[in-house]
Amino acid sequence: MSSESISLYVARESGLHRLHPLTKLALAGLLLAGGLALPQAWMTYVFFAAVVLPIALWGRVAGALLRAIWPIALPFAISLLLVRGLLWPSGTPLVALGPLSLKEEGLQFAAVIVGRILVVTGSFVLLSLTTRPDALMIALAQRGLPGTITYIMLASLQIVPRFQAKARSILAAQQSRGLEIGGNILKRIRALVPLVIPLILGSIVDIEERAMALEARAFSLPGPKTSVLILADPPAQKAARWLLAGGMLGLIAARIAWWR
Amino acid sequence: MQIAVEQVSFSYPGGVEALRGVSLTIEAGEAVAIVGENGAGKTTLARHLNGLLKPTSGRVLVGDWDTAEQSIAQMSRRVGLVFQNPDDQLFERTVRAEVTFGPRNLGWQPAEVREAVDEALARVGLSEAADTHPYDLHLAQRKLVALAATLAMHTPVVLLDEPTTGQDAVSVERIGTIVDRLHAEGRTVIAISHDLDFCAEHFERAVVMAEGRVLADGPTRQVFTRGEVLAHAAVEAPQLIRLATALGWEAAPLTVEEFLARLRELRRSR
Amino acid sequence: MIEIENLTYRYPLTDAPALQDISLRVPRGQFCALVGPNEAGKSTLCYALSGYVPHFYRGELSGTIRVAEAEVAHTDLPHLVSKIGLVFQNPFNQISGARFTVREEVAFGLENLGLPRERILEQVDEALELTGLTPLGARSPYALSGGQQQRLALASIIAMQPQVLVLDEHEMTIVLVSHKLEWVATFAERVIALAGGRLVGDGEPLDVLTDPALVEAGVGQTRYSQAARQAGDQGKPLPVTLAQAVEFFDADRR
Repeated sequence: MSSESISLYVARESGLHRLHPLTKLALAGLLLAGGLALPQAWMTYVFFAAVVLPIALWGRVAGALLRAIWPIALPFAISLLLVRGLLWPSGTPLVALGPLSLKEEGLQFAAVIVGRILVVTGSFVLLSLTTRPDALMIALAQRGLPGTITYIMLASLQIVPRFQAKARSILAAQQSRGLEIGGNILKRIRALVPLVIPLILGSIVDIEERAMALEARAFSLPGPKTSVLILADPPAQKAARWLLAGGMLGLIAARIAWWR
Repeated sequence: MQIAVEQVSFSYPGGVEALRGVSLTIEAGEAVAIVGENGAGKTTLARHLNGLLKPTSGRVLVGDWDTAEQSIAQMSRRVGLVFQNPDDQLFERTVRAEVTFGPRNLGWQPAEVREAVDEALARVGLSEAADTHPYDLHLAQRKLVALAATLAMHTPVVLLDEPTTGQDAVSVERIGTIVDRLHAEGRTVIAISHDLDFCAEHFERAVVMAEGRVLADGPTRQVFTRGEVLAHAAVEAPQLIRLATALGWEAAPLTVEEFLARLRELRRSR
Repeated sequence: MIEIENLTYRYPLTDAPALQDISLRVPRGQFCALVGPNEAGKSTLCYALSGYVPHFYRGELSGTIRVAEAEVAHTDLPHLVSKIGLVFQNPFNQISGARFTVREEVAFGLENLGLPRERILEQVDEALELTGLTPLGARSPYALSGGQQQRLALASIIAMQPQVLVLDEHEMTIVLVSHKLEWVATFAERVIALAGGRLVGDGEPLDVLTDPALVEAGVGQTRYSQAARQAGDQGKPLPVTLAQAVEFFDADRR
């Protein structure tokens, strides 16, 4: 009926998928730093096309990547181009639109931002598409991240859809008792009370029951936990991670140097 | 008010086909039990009767209204659906306020609302608890609050989703009495249930569903003696029918009274 | 396996005790059913057996509860999981949310115990097999139907191999809470009845479930015993299951 997780993960047989989650995390970090560190807007686009996309192709998720990015990037791009282009305080007008005109400087600024959005969302989405969230969290937990934090991050991925389903049940129940959800602002605000209160009360009950159920699974037991997921981590990948992390730091350093 | 379900099919957005060509006519004043296992399509069908779901194909008529053309709020004047989980709807600070919500949405005069609320609370036996916070009641009682909240809307059709699930013997009996009274008043009562003992005692007509289809539809006595249909739908015949069958009787008693009457008859003839 | 002595318990901020002076012994391997009307104290007794009372709910407790040699009130919740497993009513909130397949969900508790991987997989496979979930092992827990989620909740607890299971059947001591009396009478060896927080009945299913005082107390009865009682045949024990009813009315066969 509803999607059961908001995770983007797509299971595919690919070299990228087989990488250790932390290697993929480091790779995403390098892509992110790379995209943000480039001094010229056009370079960011080339970087996206020549680095991010081929890696996505290697992971056999290039199509999924573009499908996930455009709904975020496109509205941003259009609104930025218009707002920045039209409202740039002074500059070289390119196209006149009645009393307003698109300014070259404004468009250039917008192009820089759009390029960055492309790279930022691209690297995050690429990581999400090819990395199981539970595998990443287990890898982080093995490196010392507290279990409660990894639990909250994982559970929220699956609980958000559940929360939406609950909201839908409540809406159905109240509409069945004659609740009209249209009308003017005042009516709409008043219609929120019978929807929000059961959602809050229900969530409190859910949280308590969930806390009890977690106790039944020894969640609060101190001491080392094990995992049935095997996260292969050959030495070559460990080395690769250091290189990727080094590269990322190098790019950040270079960027700071350029800024000066 | 007649309900006509005409060749209704329905698929959820994910693609699960929950109803496959269901046709059903329910006359005003009938007491109908819809039985079947989880996932048989019972709840999906019920949600079509009050317009919460609109058919993917086919249509549902309630009186002269096509549910596809009415808002859910509008449909709530004709069909009162009592949900399985009362906690999805309770939001007021007192039982009385909670039961007032529905009738007030219908735009009645305050005096009418008050009368309807008092009457509904008396019907479910919660008059004494009118000023209590709903969450200070236990789950079985909260289910009764939700029932009263729908009954107070005086709909010609009352639809109950799994009214006996998780209820103890006393509560089941009370719900049975409420159903009988609604039926006696000439209102249409439809229940979705997998408790066939309860259905046998309070509903004159039974509809058996499995895999989104109607497998059998007819007088409860006839339907509940069709072993192969019940087996296919993965529901168990009522205890007394199973006992009568095991004893080799042709009679199919629906209630303890019927069972005893038949027993006396048999013993007299010996 | 379970020894309860003079247990009285009051939830915080309430006046009336939820459990009053309950004493009970359940030997190893017995399958007991717990019956009674709403608010009889059935859930509270389950919580007391598995340590949620008093560790989770606090409140005032007197008397002792011992499960598999452990004094429940003095043992931390995570250390009780190998002794007693409780399957809750609402299956949905028992899904951890931290695992993305049924198989890994069942493994979650064992991972928390820090068991070696091979042993976890062994216990998980066994629990999946017992609950008939093996074919669904790779599915998302949230993609299961309500009934399947109930079995998943059971599998997740069975996999941890507690010595006492509060709910369904296995070679374990079992305490099951149910309103389905015909089912209880058919499968349980012993029935314990609660009403108003007190122990009101304890014994063979046949004796407890036909006791007129307990029917009056709201425990309920099967249609078989109801019909037999009203048929007015003196001297014969009342039936609770179909087989017993057939025997009871044997002379009335056609």
